[in-house]
Amino acid sequence: MSDLPNQTTVLPAPGAPMTHYVSDAPFDPYEAENAASAQSKFAEASQLQLMWWKFRKHKVALYCGIFLILMYASIFISEFLAPYAQSARNTDFIYAPPQAIHLFHDGKFVGPFVYGRSQVLDMDTLQRIYTRDPTDVQKLRFFCEGDNYNFWGMIPGNTHLVCPAEDGQFFLLGTDRLGRDVLSRIIYGARISLTIGIFGVTMSFILGIVIGGLAGYHGGWFDAVTQRIIEVLQSIPSIPLWMALAAIIPVTWSPILVYIGITVILGLLDWTGLARGVRSKLLALREEDYVLAARLMGAGSARIIGRHMIPGFMSHLIASATLTIPGMILGETALSFLGIGLRAPISSWGILLTEARSVNIIALYPWLMFPVIPVILVILAFNFLGDGLRDAADPYK
Amino acid sequence: MITRRTALSLLASVALPTVTYAESPFFAADVKMGNIAPLAERLPRSPRVIDLPAMGRTTGRLGGSVRMLISGQRDVRLIPIYGYSRLVGYDAGLQLVSDILESFEAVDGRVFTLHLREGHRWSDGSPFTAEDFRYCWDDMMNNADLYRGGPPVDLIANGKVVEFSVIDPVTVRYTFASPMPDFLPKLASPLPLILYVPQAYMKQFHAKYQTPEKLAELIEQNRVDDWQGLHAKMGRSIRPENPSLPTLEAWRPRTAPPAEQFVFERNAYFHRVDQTGQQLPYFDRIILDVASADIIPAKTATGESDLQAGGISFPDYTLMKQAEKQHPLKVSLWRRTQGSSVSLFPNLNCKDPVWRKLFQDVRMRRALSVAINRHELNKVNFFGLGRESADTVLPESQLYRPEYASAWAQYDPDLANALLDELGLTERGGGNIRILPDGRQAGIVVETAGESSLETDVLELIVDHMRDVGIALYIRASQRDIFRSRAMGGEVQMSVWAGLDNGVPTADMAPDQLAPTHSDQLQWPVWGSWYMSAETAGEAPDLPAALQLVSLLKQWRNTTTTVARAEIWAQMLTLWADQVFSIGTVNSAPQPIVRAARMRNVPEDALYGFTPTSFLGAYMPDTFYYARE
Repeated sequence: MSDLPNQTTVLPAPGAPMTHYVSDAPFDPYEAENAASAQSKFAEASQLQLMWWKFRKHKVALYCGIFLILMYASIFISEFLAPYAQSARNTDFIYAPPQAIHLFHDGKFVGPFVYGRSQVLDMDTLQRIYTRDPTDVQKLRFFCEGDNYNFWGMIPGNTHLVCPAEDGQFFLLGTDRLGRDVLSRIIYGARISLTIGIFGVTMSFILGIVIGGLAGYHGGWFDAVTQRIIEVLQSIPSIPLWMALAAIIPVTWSPILVYIGITVILGLLDWTGLARGVRSKLLALREEDYVLAARLMGAGSARIIGRHMIPGFMSHLIASATLTIPGMILGETALSFLGIGLRAPISSWGILLTEARSVNIIALYPWLMFPVIPVILVILAFNFLGDGLRDAADPYK
Repeated sequence: MITRRTALSLLASVALPTVTYAESPFFAADVKMGNIAPLAERLPRSPRVIDLPAMGRTTGRLGGSVRMLISGQRDVRLIPIYGYSRLVGYDAGLQLVSDILESFEAVDGRVFTLHLREGHRWSDGSPFTAEDFRYCWDDMMNNADLYRGGPPVDLIANGKVVEFSVIDPVTVRYTFASPMPDFLPKLASPLPLILYVPQAYMKQFHAKYQTPEKLAELIEQNRVDDWQGLHAKMGRSIRPENPSLPTLEAWRPRTAPPAEQFVFERNAYFHRVDQTGQQLPYFDRIILDVASADIIPAKTATGESDLQAGGISFPDYTLMKQAEKQHPLKVSLWRRTQGSSVSLFPNLNCKDPVWRKLFQDVRMRRALSVAINRHELNKVNFFGLGRESADTVLPESQLYRPEYASAWAQYDPDLANALLDELGLTERGGGNIRILPDGRQAGIVVETAGESSLETDVLELIVDHMRDVGIALYIRASQRDIFRSRAMGGEVQMSVWAGLDNGVPTADMAPDQLAPTHSDQLQWPVWGSWYMSAETAGEAPDLPAALQLVSLLKQWRNTTTTVARAEIWAQMLTLWADQVFSIGTVNSAPQPIVRAARMRNVPEDALYGFTPTSFLGAYMPDTFYYARE
């Protein structure tokens, strides 16, 4: 018997007295109630909290969300982030290729720096050839004074996150045909390209919820008419329709009006899917008992839709909006690329790509195609985020 | 068996013993089968002999096809421009020489006698005679259905219509009431004044010569509204879309639109031969492929074009140069003939009274001109290869004087500031921009057609130059047509376009681009339309300098000698340079010309422009050939 370990788990030998066990943990007479209330923390949590708990577990979506928040945060301080001013030209460095950042020079740590470059004109091929000067160490400066700008077009300033050394250059992503810094233009372009998605979605949201909500809740002739209109709108291929609408924008409008016009166009064409979603959800929800209860208690349609029904599928709406924004961004890019969207001097990613579409650029100056990268990253991030939100939107599942 | 034809050819070879004409292999089979006459019979009695060694070129060999790229099917019109067969035409030295004509005489600058080549034939073999001129004059220009307003203005001198007479089957005469110095240059234009049509072919479309039933049938067949439309459609020679229309050009069309590829074949009856007796052109075929404008540089760089000038521009040069290593092509740089590649036109007729007054003040125009740093523009946009100059004639022109190019073209911001201060624009507002007398900011909206990135690039630099002297420029890109009509309506303050069309004029070419003559002129569209419409539309100018240019142009039109014309040109150019009606930047901009590496006789360095060189025309693409490999 002694060879048996863990005696407590084994019954005593026959006839031997039972060993007595007393738990020394304090007795909690409300244990059951507390357990229930712990459950109820989950049960009583608001929907947003539930979504957040669920969403947190979707790591890719979480990181994509953080990435997008950073991107959107950047548009508030574009002037500060960009090493150069939006229209700054450096005619001594036309078509300069990207510069690499180094940390060590001659085996010694000097902190982030770039090597200076000298330009030679190749008069045979008429190309500007840049050669790196390995002795010219140009240390980057941080939180430094650089090109002047008007912050949000109002407050003058000249502080930048990073600037080239005094009398030096820092073109992380190279320069274009007028010696403008590609990185700075991408940063400024984000302001237009990212907001156009948000504004467009806001607009299509309002249209979608109002029209879809009315159609779904009231039904009848209004429903029938809107459904036919939606079908017609959806059956028209989107790019030609955008092109037709964009062609209506007068060429004499100022760039900022064109920006608003393009936003409106993108918003006007995008509400149909959302309106359909809202309508079908409402059709289902209005048969629910709690809606009947609210109605019996004398609530009007506005209150029933706004207070009882929309929260029922708000999560779904958020997810679908997230998935719509990339379409808007691509729409703007496509329109600008075709030359019927925004126009210089506004800089958007689409405009930057338009300037990069000639065969010369692809063959000789490929760094001008860098604006593709933020477009791809943002679109992907929005798709992953939307994916995560959709999973999170129904936390009880 | 000796046919009549061979007998004739024997006679011809007897008559011209010095040159033996060599038949092209292209037609050898046809001649053998008797489908067409032998070469000696097809050529005029005295063909135009091109002495290639005398031109510094080599004698070529016949054969081969040339592929070219065009951006749309309307561009088939380039072939008659490149081919450049004219009654009289410019040679590479910009001298007027007779081409289709055997010779011509001009008496008192108003009586023009044109001698055709005896035995000259259209591309269908029908004879080219004075009857073709008579048909054009009597049955077209004086037919109220075809020419509603009577003969074209180019044939009216001082309100009097030209007098046309046929002297004999190969001689015609045009007699003007007063001197018409513009007559011959108009015939040598890339889009010439047309005085002759192939009447033998065209008569079938004319109501006077065709039965109404047949005419109705043809109208139906060709989907036009009336016989005038039919006549115009079938006889359109500037855009060779009708393969059966006879031509005098080197290559005749073989494809009717719509098509993606247009083939032109050598004209068996072409009137030029080289000094060894080979009939020109050397190339048998020209094949035009339609490609979108964006793709033309890429296709050219991959060797898909054997001769390309249109559709490529200076920024493509580096790409072409790199392509030389991989593909058998050569690229050379010619110089564009415009007076300025990019020019600013202050609208002297703009509606805004404040700006109109300022722009009409010469000090304002001079200030804007000297505020521009042309050296930077040249360096950034043309690799320093252009010439920094005012908008005026190029040094290649015999009328050029260095002071025209340098007038108000120096970079002198201090002078600009001083001039602007003198105008009373002394006060400065936000952004150090000057304030107009009525309290507005001195901001000029500059409109461009937005067609070339060159214009926008140059403008971006100029915006900075102007800001330095306290003038704000705002760029607005619009569309060519909208832009033109807005300029006409005075809504445009300032516009951007290329400078003088013809930067290499001779004294015998009309100086009409220097005076208000056309509503296209962006610095004075309203005044231009006044003279264009024979003083019925627009407004008469009230600016002394503009009036002076108008009166000088009138004087030029009454001159009879080259010396007198050169004198007037000099006066006009001096005035033009001093008044800065157009603010030029850089001229002689390089234009890449790409050709197959084994193509010969293409000049390495030449002038490229519509007038007067007709793009390639004055350099005779019919003498280009492929060297044996």
